[in-house]
Amino acid sequence: MFSKILIANRGEIALRILRACRTLGVGAVVAYSEADRESLAAQLADEAICIGPADARRSYLSAPSVISAAIVTGCDAIHPGYGFLSEDEAFADVVRAHGLTFIGPPAEVLERFASKEATRRLLGSYGLATIPGSGMLRDEAHALEEAERVGYPVIIKPSAGGGGKGMRLVRTARELEDTFKVARSEAKAAFGDDALYLEKFIDDNRHVEVQVAVDRFGHAVHMGERDCSVQRRHQKIIEETPSPALSEAAREELCQRAVRAVVAAGYENLGTLEFLVDSKGDAYFIEINCRIQVEHPITELCTGVDMVAMQIKIAAGEPLGLSQSDIVSRGHAIEFRILAEDPTKDFRPQSGQISAYLAPGGVGVRMDSHIYPGYEVPSYYDSLLGKLCVWGPDRATAIARGETALRELLVDGVTTNIELHRAILANKVFVDGRVTTNLLDRVGTAPFVAAASR
Amino acid sequence: MSDDPKAPSSMPPDGDPARARRDHQAISKLADDLLPALIAKLASSGLGEIEVREGGWRARLRKPAGPDITRRSAVRSTADGHAGSGHSAGRLQAQSRPSQPLEGASEQDAAPIAATSPAVGIYHPRRDLSEGMRVRTAEKIGVVDVLGVNQDVLVPVDGIIGTSLAEAGEAVEYGQELVRIELTERAAIPNKAADEPDPAGARGKA
Repeated sequence: MFSKILIANRGEIALRILRACRTLGVGAVVAYSEADRESLAAQLADEAICIGPADARRSYLSAPSVISAAIVTGCDAIHPGYGFLSEDEAFADVVRAHGLTFIGPPAEVLERFASKEATRRLLGSYGLATIPGSGMLRDEAHALEEAERVGYPVIIKPSAGGGGKGMRLVRTARELEDTFKVARSEAKAAFGDDALYLEKFIDDNRHVEVQVAVDRFGHAVHMGERDCSVQRRHQKIIEETPSPALSEAAREELCQRAVRAVVAAGYENLGTLEFLVDSKGDAYFIEINCRIQVEHPITELCTGVDMVAMQIKIAAGEPLGLSQSDIVSRGHAIEFRILAEDPTKDFRPQSGQISAYLAPGGVGVRMDSHIYPGYEVPSYYDSLLGKLCVWGPDRATAIARGETALRELLVDGVTTNIELHRAILANKVFVDGRVTTNLLDRVGTAPFVAAASR
Repeated sequence: MSDDPKAPSSMPPDGDPARARRDHQAISKLADDLLPALIAKLASSGLGEIEVREGGWRARLRKPAGPDITRRSAVRSTADGHAGSGHSAGRLQAQSRPSQPLEGASEQDAAPIAATSPAVGIYHPRRDLSEGMRVRTAEKIGVVDVLGVNQDVLVPVDGIIGTSLAEAGEAVEYGQELVRIELTERAAIPNKAADEPDPAGARGKA
């Protein structure tokens, strides 16, 4: 085991990692930017070190600053948390070159899974279904042929594109004929490359992800799945486990397949495999996240496993020490991301001073947050104030506990999305477990809030 | 610079060259004499904002939002502060000190300015550096070694080298004070402003 870990992150996850270190009896140093001097993690830590100014590029994203901080404080490992440098294979490589351990997958594993496209092909070859698609389209006739084969609707994508740019949704052969030439010239203009391919478009999909853990010796377990379909502009807002979209048999099948595929592909450490699930319940693999996820606490609530501690032990070269039959997922858990955002002002991130804060309590309630009365929410980083998680023996109880806890939760000084959470919980579509990833964007959030206040 | 409606506008009315000249003179005086002194004073104090008036002109300096970067300790231990709101209240108190009139800013209470560390790493002062040495703004007085790459430690203001706050070879964090710099010339605040301290003239701001 390590003697001292540098925590190279901020906010609630820095605090979460600090707690795991303490539980394991490992020393910890919190690396913070100037804007986070008064953060709870920096204050609670036995040691804290300022690594740079507020600008993340010169602090949390600066590999030399982070590694230098680890060396001067005598750390032997670095925990990158999520975001920032957590999935940067070059960083993981440099960390190792300095004789330190990166807490996450080794650099070569990160590299193998760095390209989404290559990862889909790799894990597809180990038995995971991927979204049906074409190779490069030669011409319009070829495009029509391929679209017919995978089935409409399809999305035409520029090969050189990314981040959703230049994509065209096509629902019929007629639309494809109208669109193809335009899409090709647009791709040429935007990316200097007119190569196009197409993929089946999955309407009204759900986002389901499988949590896996693999040790250095190839022993692996899955810890069930999480449903993250409540999203706004591709940002998760509410997550729950188990997924209301899957039957017990489908869940078991998906999780088994996922864990077999990652072991075969040589994955190591914690990982999350994301799937799109269509209305028939078929799951298509999208990508793998090679880090601890924001929403990991709901898995912890159901399995009782300290996942950050597990991640640290795997990185230290320890065997998992448990098998699949040791992982028993009980009950239902829901996470609400409490964000400093103003739903009435297009969810603009808010900064300012927390004037009052009261965390909820009670049976099955967990609040992971770094805020406190007097805390200044800096404007430089994401708007996550904390994660309210609730557990119940069944989904209905978890929802009831969520409602109670959200009513109790008090955050004053900045505008938050607490009311939106209450509105979603009161909505029949959520209660019935039928939320799809496009729902909030399609209908907007205002009708949810309006319906809830009636 | 001036947001006082009664003060001369910084945009002179058209067709008044004399007035424009006076304004330009006032602005360059502010820029050359007053501002450097104010910057030094603001940097050396725990204040968040300083404002002075001279004639119809008013100059206000405010530190960028964010935590005070002048108070430094090296790698911080818990002995240094308690968690939670208690500590936070301490910080707020420190930042909202009662205002002190500018003429009171004598040698005793104007904490010396310091050259700070540009990065987290190992500090190596310049070999010839010694107390009492005269230095100029932006002069290099040492380096911080960050994984074998040196980052320069620069003097923030013209002055004289004072006490060293970190040893050669010591691990330092970003922003840590390394060497005190004594000001060569005491801040030349115009007497007029100093004679009539305004309650809003110098105030701490949380």
